[in-house]
Amino acid sequence: MLGSIEKPVEDKSNRLGMTRVGGQMIADYWEDLFTARERGKQIVWYNGGALNPMFQAAGLAWCHGEAFAARLAAQRLEGPAQLAGAEYGYNAELCSYSRTHLGCSVLTLQGTEGDQTGVVGVHDQEVLAAKLPAPDFFVNNYAGCSTGQQWDGISYRVFGKQLPIFNISHPFLWGNKPDSGYLRGAEWEQASQFVASQLRELIGFLEHQTGRPFDYDALSESMTYIKRAAELRREGLDLCKAKPAPATFWDWIASVAPINFLPGSQALVDYFADVRDEIQGRIDHGVSAVKDEKYRLYFDGIMNWNKLGYLSRKFAEHGVAVLAGRYIQNAFWQEPHLIDTSDPILGMAQHYLLCPTNHGVKTLEHLALRDCEDYDLDGLVFHSTRTCRAFTGPQRLLAKAAQDKLGLPSIFFEGDVADASFYKDGILESRLVAMLEAIDVRRERGALPDGFSAFA
Amino acid sequence: MTDTPSEAMERLVGVARDPRAYIGRWRAGHPGGAVLAILPMNFPRELAHAAGALPVIVQDDQEPITEGRALLAEFYCGYTRNLADQVATGRFDVYDAVFSADHCIQLIGATEIARTLRPDTTVFLGMLNSSMNDSWAPAKVTETMAEIQAEIERFTGNPVGREELGRSIEAYNRDRRLIRQLLDTRSAGEAALSPVQLQDIIVSSMVMDPVEHHALLLEALAGLHGTERDDRVRVHLSGHLCHAPRRELLEVIEDSGAIVVDDDLYHGKRYLSTDVAEEGDPIAALAGWYARRNVTIPCPTRVQQDADWDTYLLDAVRHSGAEAVIHLVPKFCEPHMLYYPELRKALDAADIPQLQLETEHEGMPLESFRTRIEALVERTLRRRPVHV
Ligand code: SF4
Ligand code: SF4
Repeated sequence: MLGSIEKPVEDKSNRLGMTRVGGQMIADYWEDLFTARERGKQIVWYNGGALNPMFQAAGLAWCHGEAFAARLAAQRLEGPAQLAGAEYGYNAELCSYSRTHLGCSVLTLQGTEGDQTGVVGVHDQEVLAAKLPAPDFFVNNYAGCSTGQQWDGISYRVFGKQLPIFNISHPFLWGNKPDSGYLRGAEWEQASQFVASQLRELIGFLEHQTGRPFDYDALSESMTYIKRAAELRREGLDLCKAKPAPATFWDWIASVAPINFLPGSQALVDYFADVRDEIQGRIDHGVSAVKDEKYRLYFDGIMNWNKLGYLSRKFAEHGVAVLAGRYIQNAFWQEPHLIDTSDPILGMAQHYLLCPTNHGVKTLEHLALRDCEDYDLDGLVFHSTRTCRAFTGPQRLLAKAAQDKLGLPSIFFEGDVADASFYKDGILESRLVAMLEAIDVRRERGALPDGFSAFA
Repeated sequence: MTDTPSEAMERLVGVARDPRAYIGRWRAGHPGGAVLAILPMNFPRELAHAAGALPVIVQDDQEPITEGRALLAEFYCGYTRNLADQVATGRFDVYDAVFSADHCIQLIGATEIARTLRPDTTVFLGMLNSSMNDSWAPAKVTETMAEIQAEIERFTGNPVGREELGRSIEAYNRDRRLIRQLLDTRSAGEAALSPVQLQDIIVSSMVMDPVEHHALLLEALAGLHGTERDDRVRVHLSGHLCHAPRRELLEVIEDSGAIVVDDDLYHGKRYLSTDVAEEGDPIAALAGWYARRNVTIPCPTRVQQDADWDTYLLDAVRHSGAEAVIHLVPKFCEPHMLYYPELRKALDAADIPQLQLETEHEGMPLESFRTRIEALVERTLRRRPVHV
């Protein structure tokens, strides 16, 4: 039956032990945020690129909207927030990150009426959604997706237009000029400078909000840790090219939150050093992430947070190691060399622009095909992320490019970032099986000799 | 329209319903002239016109979506899926280039389809800064306008002189003013033209050369007599940011006991809301036009803390005396879905009856819409003072 979800017969996935450590760090972070106001901290709500080092240097507590919505979904606690959003009038086809988070805003407001403690939702105290402390102000840092920017404009309105809001504009990297390309060309340079200048304005805004001069040294320090953590993350990702793979895409998904919004600190560096070391240890001892790895696939789409554990088991059940994806290799401080820790603003601006929804298809194609070759992949799986138009827009074109240029097959399945109702298990199952069979057939036929194109 | 449609009106209707035929005629009269596909909502067509090109705002052409399905996900708005379909099936081949200056992610998705499927065609995307309150916004928008100018000059090979640009600005202003008068007359109580006819007039202005359109419209309006408004329920139509609501839907609305007195549709007041200043530096004037458009009728795709669509809507309703509002929300239009609760809240607080209709590119449930509109009409009628 389409949509029915059965447990895999045998769990063939072998997740990294370190992901549990990361999980604890993340849980501690949120607990800390829920009590931040009691500790006299100002709270900023923000969306999009990882501005946390700025907030850390400014002495703020920060809540990343998508991250909170993702966390609720991963813990299956998104229901109350989404219901509150629906009652408020948000359509179910609206980006589920935004409607979950806006639902939280509604719950937060209901809970704070008449009191400024910021701990919310008297009637819903048990529900994580309602624990989110109300913001003192908003900062929007969304690249690529127009929805992200509008969502904060609406949060500002939901909170009665009382709280300050700062918006950073990111030019879409369309890549049409003759010199345009990944990390190069006049478009890239100009956009980098434009965003960097806005980040400098943001510092003025933060100084105004906090009443304190901005601590540039603290920013440098935080970015030094983040840069090192990002380098270790890259090293770990590179190790996963080994056969069989020592860790998979799903392990890296579990490490998104630490790299994306935990404070820059030695603990963060240690975490990613340990992740890398665990992967190296697996290679040294011949331990694989998927028992009897038979296929290696690419995963495109924003994460389906409701189904992280389920999907990791499901692919492993079929002997599939999912190894690369736009959301992992091409996001989250993925180009650490761009960061000059003594003056990190420009490198930060560039990373925000490098959001994987902010490139034209030409660049996305370059990145996806590069990763398919580097990880020696057999095919691609596209998570047609129902309410995220930003990620899904170029997917059909990417699938075609992979087929035409590398001869790689792909499948699409539907799901969503934070709304479980869009996931259809039967569709994924049948299409995955069909693709794996096609890969088998191709393997049996043998590879083409060098120099021959896969397509006539 | 109570009068028999004039030949001029019929020609306007013809252009609106078959832009490709008009483009063919224009080409014949302008050998070597470029026809540009312009994507909504804020592209400064004046710049292209001044370079001797014909900038045509691409319409949702009402054909069923076939090949476009394999290019954009089904949960993209109908307009963008239709654009993808037009490209995939060769219906876009009437254009020499594509120019867009916006940032809706769905529109960018459709623009990508055009660029990928037609690799030899110029497909330009100039993002007009959509965060309007920033101190650097005016300079950034002016810079983008200058970039658009340079790109158009490069593509057409024609420099855009200051004088030509001034003339184009005047021509578009003149045409906008004339259509605006028709809409104002409608709000003031004379309903000489039906919503479908007004839409045809506006669509034809999006397609045609403005000088030609203005002349034809003047001719169409000569001899047209206004009629007093009847006592149907006066409604304001709100929404449809990029494409025209289906004509059948407009007809159903007016057949169900409502009369449209005002709107903020793209194919309505939104498109015509603002003129470009005719004095001073024309590039700065176009930048100013872009900023003022969002103040005259705020758009949910822009971020501007001190401009609110809900406030605008309440003012408009008070001004036109509309008794109810119908929200026409194209399915999957994210900016509209995000903003809709704010509109609903404001109207509820002001005790104004409202109805939300979610429209689709094809397969609209017109009969169920009719029932719901009739219910709105009933509800609104009951609120009228009873005269005994
Ligand atoms: S639509 Fe996608 S990219 Fe846009 S805000 Fe939502 S989750 Fe983010
Ligand atoms: S604004 Fe709405 S109608 Fe226009 S392209 Fe975007 S989603 Fe479609």
